[in-house]
Amino acid sequence: MNTTAAIPADTQGSLERVLCYLKGEKPQRVACFPLILNHAARVLGVPVGVYNRDGKVMGKAHVAAFRRYGNDLILIFSTTSTLAEAMGTKMKFFDEDAPQIEEPFLKQHSDISKLKLPDFSKDGRLPVYMEATEICVKEVGSEVVVSTVFGGPLTTAAALYPVELLTRDMIKNPAWVHELLEICTQAGIKFIDEILKRGALPIIVEPIGSGSLVSPRHFKEFVAPYLKRLADHVHKTGGGMPAVLHICGKTTPNFKAMLEADFDIWSLDACDLGEAKKVAGHRVALVGNVIPANLLKNTPEEIDAEAREICEKMGDKVGFILGSGCEVPINTPPENIDALINAARKYGRYDS
Amino acid sequence: MARERGDILKDLMDGVFLMDEALVIKAANEVVEAKYDAYDAINNGLIAGMNQAGVLFDKEEYFVPELLICSDAMYAGIEILRPHLKKSDAHEKHKVVIGVVEGDTHDIGKNLVKIMMDAAGFEVHDLGRNVPLASFVEKAKEVGAKLICLSTLMTTTMDGMATVIEMLKEEGIRDSYKVIIGGGPISQAFANKIGADGYADNAAGAIKLSKSLLAQAAA
Repeated sequence: MNTTAAIPADTQGSLERVLCYLKGEKPQRVACFPLILNHAARVLGVPVGVYNRDGKVMGKAHVAAFRRYGNDLILIFSTTSTLAEAMGTKMKFFDEDAPQIEEPFLKQHSDISKLKLPDFSKDGRLPVYMEATEICVKEVGSEVVVSTVFGGPLTTAAALYPVELLTRDMIKNPAWVHELLEICTQAGIKFIDEILKRGALPIIVEPIGSGSLVSPRHFKEFVAPYLKRLADHVHKTGGGMPAVLHICGKTTPNFKAMLEADFDIWSLDACDLGEAKKVAGHRVALVGNVIPANLLKNTPEEIDAEAREICEKMGDKVGFILGSGCEVPINTPPENIDALINAARKYGRYDS
Repeated sequence: MARERGDILKDLMDGVFLMDEALVIKAANEVVEAKYDAYDAINNGLIAGMNQAGVLFDKEEYFVPELLICSDAMYAGIEILRPHLKKSDAHEKHKVVIGVVEGDTHDIGKNLVKIMMDAAGFEVHDLGRNVPLASFVEKAKEVGAKLICLSTLMTTTMDGMATVIEMLKEEGIRDSYKVIIGGGPISQAFANKIGADGYADNAAGAIKLSKSLLAQAAA
């Protein structure tokens, strides 16, 4: 299949395209957010382990990825544990992979008294994130939306205290979980302030709130109220910036509960995006949801077909952004990312 | 005076199913004091309760927190009853090797499958997380397992599953084992591509799949 000839050229810039969504206007075509995170290191040709620990490299990698692919959103990101890391959780680093949690900071409930809000000028790798954000805003901020991603309250809590114990405590010690979530929420509010101050968009990722892990009842008790405070803070202080939430994994059982968190954009992974539109389309713009493993394993033709099916499912495509369900795998072949963005050009037209 | 066997077993079952560990402990001690059959109490009380919890998990009424607490209650009861099992209670069980492949430390999904396999009567050899690929093969040979279960949540490590299958082929023993895979990025298509015997998208599905594969192997 040779589809290159059939790709309509963009005459609208990336930033302008995304701003159309915020203004309630129709862009030339649907925007495309492949969630390029650690993969940016591949575009710049540096080891992932260097990208992760050097703000200049991280920033340059995302500028290079934007120049290479023309993605409509830059996402500064290394792991979902970055806030927890800055609050004392130990990470293990790898040359060619994202860091993983080595030792959660909280060993027992009483350790919570030692927990402090992070200092963004020195704790963990927060300075790396801040520098990378500044570089991207300075170099390409007039062309594309630059965002910086951090773990939501429950995700941060689950990186500070072993997730298997934390999930049990939702039932056995809910008061302690709430106390921890309160601190994580305050850390998140600080993160939002630091990102907004740098002219970027804060994005909250809450995979531990996935329907694979918590029930709608627990989502309403332990996730939605804290997420809502973050969304409210963006609404109050963001000068018109939308509140953006990404949840990996299965989300369908929690759609209704998620509405209570009051976000403007949901980036979704393993679900039927058409179902999400039915439940939340009146309120929320939806990003998704080509399967990440398919980006790694499938051919460009298969990616094209998968993306086309998603575009068709979204009907009038109002408030729809084509994207990957979760992180674009580090070793994704570049032509598959091209295929995804070209699919937005081909099947995401509002005039067809 | 001791309560009826049926009443105590109901407490064991309800205690697991309703996440009431204290009730399980009390009932398990009653079984011991009344000298009721420990094997019967484990199977028709504790494990029956865990299987009920599994049904609710399958229906998305229970989620991970509920299932973990049910399993805590089940294991607390087993701890009390195990010393009272008779020699004749030892039945040959299907042996299974399970673990999260090298490079990945996310193990909640694997742990849930392990819990449900325990409850389903398998003898589970859990290698833990971040497991060197050769260990799956070695362990399966060592314990005489017929089933190998591989888990990963990450796209960076999913190829390790294919490597395990290749290792079995290289040793000429692929047909002696059933290999099933699961985890966030895994799909049936990927399972087909790498020649796995099956894929399940949740813990309950993994148990059904394991049983049917082992029945096939025995046939």
